[in-house]
Amino acid sequence: MSSTNSIQIGQQETSFWGRLRLTLARRTEGRGVALLAVVLVVVAFTEPLVFTAYPVSLGRIALIGLVALGLTAVILMGELDLSVASTLALSGVVMAMIPDVALGVIAALAVGLVVGMINAFLVAIVGINSFIATLGMLFALRGLGFVLSNEAPVRMANTDAGIAFGLPLLGPLTPRVLIFIVAFIALQIFVSRVKAGREFFAVGGNRQAAYDAGIPVKRRIFTGFLISGFVASLAGAINTLERTAADPTAGSTVLLASFAAAIIGGNYLKGGRGSIVGTLIGATALGVLQVALTLTGVQVPVQQIFIGLILLLAVTTDPANLRAVLGSIRSVRQGRLKSQT
Amino acid sequence: MRNSRIGLATASLIAVAGLTLSGCAAADETEAVSTDSAASTATTAGDTYEVYALLPQGNDQPYGTTYLPPMEAKAAELGINLTITNSEYDGDKQASECEVAVAAQPDGIILWPALADTIRPCLEAANAAGIPVWITNADVNPEDTELTYGYSGTDSYGQGAASAEMMCEFVGDNSIGIIQINGLTGNSVATLRGNGFKETIASTCPDNVEILAEQPGNWNKDESQIAASEMLTAVGVENVGGMYAADDSMVAGGIDAFKARGLDPKDYIITSIGNTFLGNPLVASGELMGTVFQSSSWDGENAVVGIYRAMTGDTSLGRDDDASVLYMPNPTVTIDNWDAADVTPEW
Repeated sequence: MSSTNSIQIGQQETSFWGRLRLTLARRTEGRGVALLAVVLVVVAFTEPLVFTAYPVSLGRIALIGLVALGLTAVILMGELDLSVASTLALSGVVMAMIPDVALGVIAALAVGLVVGMINAFLVAIVGINSFIATLGMLFALRGLGFVLSNEAPVRMANTDAGIAFGLPLLGPLTPRVLIFIVAFIALQIFVSRVKAGREFFAVGGNRQAAYDAGIPVKRRIFTGFLISGFVASLAGAINTLERTAADPTAGSTVLLASFAAAIIGGNYLKGGRGSIVGTLIGATALGVLQVALTLTGVQVPVQQIFIGLILLLAVTTDPANLRAVLGSIRSVRQGRLKSQT
Repeated sequence: MRNSRIGLATASLIAVAGLTLSGCAAADETEAVSTDSAASTATTAGDTYEVYALLPQGNDQPYGTTYLPPMEAKAAELGINLTITNSEYDGDKQASECEVAVAAQPDGIILWPALADTIRPCLEAANAAGIPVWITNADVNPEDTELTYGYSGTDSYGQGAASAEMMCEFVGDNSIGIIQINGLTGNSVATLRGNGFKETIASTCPDNVEILAEQPGNWNKDESQIAASEMLTAVGVENVGGMYAADDSMVAGGIDAFKARGLDPKDYIITSIGNTFLGNPLVASGELMGTVFQSSSWDGENAVVGIYRAMTGDTSLGRDDDASVLYMPNPTVTIDNWDAADVTPEW
């Protein structure tokens, strides 16, 4: 007769509600979902046109979300990419300068990959902090965009192709929205199903442990920055096509909106926690909110107050922050009780 | 693995919810359009008009701050409900706001292009939806005028040219080198004013005025001071006899750069555009030799007058009739007329 000894850590939940609670505790999108629910309910009552004109709302979500999706790949590893807006502008300019649309798109995407490669080289090989490295690239790429464009918008040679690109392709969905959906699915599968993608969490969670576990950390950093650069340049190409011209100053509001979408979606800026789904939720909440505020004619400063408050709410309601706050309150109370006794 | 399944399930849920909403929306769409049509009929009978004003600035800029109140007052007078947006000179954001405006099916759209080159898709969408568009402050490109009902605002090129003509007049038969401070790079008004100034200098007094260097000041006083200071260093103070800036905020920064070097601006030929609260006293003191008056109140008010004309059929698509273009009078302001009532600064 043999006996089996096993060690059980924690209590195994078998009930539906128990498993649901555990699942929700593991996920990082909770705050984003709650916020999205609030936004959707409020907007449904105050500005239902947001839903009536859903192709416009989807377009705004795609505008904010595409760059944010690429940015998430870097954020998951605990890195930052401040150069995305400049990459967007530069790739748009490069694309508009080439008369052939297909060649222009290829060149624009190549620009994104090259920028991603340089960023990754500076971070992974040279060892520069990603904030500083990509800040430098932000200025350098912006300047390069101005030089190439002669400091003026560059019109596409084939404006008809651009206008056609902005028209609905599948039902009410424009190519921008369809590309955004494809990018979301591809990145979600990569981060959740592909080994290299799943290792992003390990690299962001504990880099030394990732090294010790044999994960090729530098290669993963290269992959992350390549994704970020590629997606930013894709957004630049789409913008140029839809507007029929490239603007060297483009993307001035993209960087902060993208970071906001990722953070609202529960992505942890220090890496290791977060998800592509979270970014989608964050971008959806922000996009719907922005469209609703625009429709109601709320002025930009007030819009910024709304977005700032939501961002603060998203950060301060982070479970880790809440636990820290509760711990501080508890220790203060215990200290007072001790001093009373 | 479980996490990824949950992730995909959440995404699917959102997608299903979105599609459901879309379905509901599609069902309601016909009703919304017919309601809009009824509203449109009502407006022609003398009720209120719904108008979107897509602007690139608002209360965040001095010009916008004084542009908006007369615009809103005129709108109230004409029975127009204004919904005002501010794209902060982001062409992509303005394009997205235009999509929102077209979806809202207003009676008219007032458009101040953030970037003239990127605005055609917006005009095409509004035109396809049968919404008249009136352009304000900065005109669209000539090939896009056929999609608009008209334009009111400054002749930005003409303002640059007027500033250059003053410069040539002040220089006379002498020869000087100047530095040039431009507006925000890529911005339509900045480009037009810059071209107007340079081309007029080249045609009117090419032997007397040489542009030694030019830098953007981004419509900002502090940045212009830095830009002017750098240009003075780069070309040598001894070679500089004057300065042109594309607006009064920037010329004030440039003048500060001269003073910081111990130079007296009154010894230099300096011209600008605006005649603002900042620029007018500089003209009075003699530090700024001349500027071109621009009225923000005229601009805001006439944007509403223009769209009203378009909505009531006084002007039609294209620029074929005389009523489709309203140019702002831009008198020059010098030491001789700085305190005249018709050039009292507004912003």
